[in-house]
Amino acid sequence: MKHDIMNELQRIMEQNIADIEQAKAEGQSVIGFYCLYSPTEIAVAADAIPLPLCGTNNNPIAAAEEKLPRNLCPLIKSSFGFAVTDTCPFFQFSDIIIGDTTCDGKKKMFELLSRYKTTHVLQLPQSQDTAMALSLWRSELERFRKIVETQTGVVINDDRLRAAIRLMNRERGARKALMDVNKDKPAPLAGSQLLEILFKAGFLADKKKGISLMEEVIVETKNGAFRSKDLRGGSRKRILLTGVPVGLGSDKVVKIVEQSGADVVAFENCSGYKQAFFVDEKTDPLDALAEQYLATPCSVMSPNNGRFDLLKEMIQEFSADGVIDLTWMACHTYNIEAVRIAEFVQETFGMPILHLETDYAESDTEQLRVRIEAYLEML
Amino acid sequence: MSEDYTSMWEGLGLDLAGHDALLEVLGNGYQDIYLAQKDRPEGMGYFDFVMSEVHGLRIKELLDEKAAGRKVIGSFCVFVPEEIVQAADATLVGLCTGADFAMDEVEKLLPRNTCSLIKSAFGFKLGKVCPYLETSDMIVGENTCDGKKKSYETLSTLVPNLYVMDLPQVKSAEARALMKAEYLRFKGAVEDLTGITIDAARLKKGIEIVNNKRKAIYRLSNLRKADPAPISGLDALLANQIFFYDNPVRFTESVNKMCDELEKRIEKKEGVFPEKAPRILISGCPMAVPNWKLPWIIETSGAVIVGEESCVGERGTRNLTDDNWDTEEELMEAIVDRYFKVDCAIFTPNPDRLEHIEEMVKTCKADGVIHYGLQFCQPYLMESIPLEKALEEKNIPTLRIETDYSMEDVGQLKTRVEAFVEMIK
Repeated sequence: MKHDIMNELQRIMEQNIADIEQAKAEGQSVIGFYCLYSPTEIAVAADAIPLPLCGTNNNPIAAAEEKLPRNLCPLIKSSFGFAVTDTCPFFQFSDIIIGDTTCDGKKKMFELLSRYKTTHVLQLPQSQDTAMALSLWRSELERFRKIVETQTGVVINDDRLRAAIRLMNRERGARKALMDVNKDKPAPLAGSQLLEILFKAGFLADKKKGISLMEEVIVETKNGAFRSKDLRGGSRKRILLTGVPVGLGSDKVVKIVEQSGADVVAFENCSGYKQAFFVDEKTDPLDALAEQYLATPCSVMSPNNGRFDLLKEMIQEFSADGVIDLTWMACHTYNIEAVRIAEFVQETFGMPILHLETDYAESDTEQLRVRIEAYLEML
Repeated sequence: MSEDYTSMWEGLGLDLAGHDALLEVLGNGYQDIYLAQKDRPEGMGYFDFVMSEVHGLRIKELLDEKAAGRKVIGSFCVFVPEEIVQAADATLVGLCTGADFAMDEVEKLLPRNTCSLIKSAFGFKLGKVCPYLETSDMIVGENTCDGKKKSYETLSTLVPNLYVMDLPQVKSAEARALMKAEYLRFKGAVEDLTGITIDAARLKKGIEIVNNKRKAIYRLSNLRKADPAPISGLDALLANQIFFYDNPVRFTESVNKMCDELEKRIEKKEGVFPEKAPRILISGCPMAVPNWKLPWIIETSGAVIVGEESCVGERGTRNLTDDNWDTEEELMEAIVDRYFKVDCAIFTPNPDRLEHIEEMVKTCKADGVIHYGLQFCQPYLMESIPLEKALEEKNIPTLRIETDYSMEDVGQLKTRVEAFVEMIK
């Protein structure tokens, strides 16, 4: 069954490219997103296709370094590299790009990216708490709505927004339910499998296809299709991965943890559980979007208390034995926050944390392996 | 130092041994870099004195002010509006960030690849060697770059009186509204701290004091346009650095007095460097005391620095605050207008900065630009690459330097700077 599902996913992925091409030919717009903060609902509400953009692969980094400083985070370099080498189909498909003023590296990268494709940068506040933050973000989403209206020619009324919120809530609900299967002990789904499914499903233009596929995976994991009881074993340490986003191509830490005999049972990052939120379907839709998306507990916020709360909840619910905090090299916000995250986990759970700072290259794999094995040994 | 300040430093909780070591390094550096220069204006005597007493007499003055009921507010950034502080009869001081100190301790709290300026601020606190920080009744942080924004969260566990100001990242109407709201909140915080209600008359007075200081610095900048340059870039940088520490009224008088002298020098065609010496504009990250490494390398390589496009320099001081208003509301708007123009690389996009550099190259008659980027300072490093390209397209030779506060790369930098100076001759 596992192979059937993974084959089905592969088939859908290939079909996806053809679907997007056809949709574009029929006049549908495609909007590329770089960050979790900008609501995809606004694109969906205008019948446009929201696509995440490539940025998890090491290959285009060399090309990016011709135009960017070397000591910049690999995610930014990879994203930019894909754009300049024109090797990301999703970037090619995008009619416009939406960026946010999240971190310094990204916001300054978008200035250069805009030379390659129309890029609209939303001003994300740096704090969630000040009186101005929410109203500023709401006005940026209003501007975003107009940008999409101009692009698509569709007037995005509240009904359209509400319908989009309902659809995206269903998608996030399916993602969350899928991630939650690993609350079971032992974990029915390997972290690398979960990551692959979430990653690939994220690129699907047809949200409903993605939702039903994830629902199917949930059923099958519970039947033991992915990891039979005896293969799973009961003694594998349960690791929660927190910090920067990971995807296919930037998943070396997940692989090393698994090769070292432990499981990554949960991802507290924006490719994982930071997406497990629910937008209020009852209030004014733009208010609801502004409030919920602004609450995303990313380290670009100061303070970022939401991440501490989320970590606490996840460590408990996923019965984590250990926490690995991953920082991409030169990502200042996660890197600086790491000291306080480590203190918090130690104080709250008496649990040591392993903080890793690395990039997408393979050169430090063995060094990481030694540190990860030593950490697992200690637990 | 003319007096023994040991008991004062002890009273501030400084680590005396560490502080002595710091002062010794500072004194030696000053001797080698500043006092070794030839033909300095006599007016620099005042600044030499200020530097010799930077941890002594000036701190004593601040403590005397505090005893008389004034408050001292410490800041790390040119976005903190000094007008509001002066309006409440308080004093704004720049906090120490120009040298590596207690790095072993700092790197337990901050990643190694954090910029020197931020690590230095922590080092001076952890090493207990910054009397300005210990004298401050309130320390103001600001959400500018990622590094500062996040490190203030940690700094707040080290000091009891940190106040953080949020700032926008773009230059839209909504962004300006955010800045205004934050400046109003800051005004309220200063009022709470001082117990003084800041009205229109007080704002006008605050604006006047700070504008006068700026005007004096503009006068100095203008005189540097002469060839031969009447003052070295190092000395002019020092005046710009002391801008952040000294009593503003006395500072204004001292700069103006020195400018009188420079005017006479210019009339007589006297300079600190020979006529036609290659002229350099520095652009990029700020240089706080005692971060004199790059200017020293440049000016011992036969070139003269004729301007600083930097927060410690024109980016920080340019533009007066318009005081031609009557109400408190209007004056606050004028203050916001003035600071919203600051073309810091934290803004996206930031096209004014390129224009400003080009304008400075013209007015200062610079032969080339040296871009100074602090290692790991993403906003400035990211901007430096397209800036260099844009300047070179306009036939303005540009050298991009990325460095930190250590002295390890002096030889390498010297080689690169010498080659650049040779090229623009």
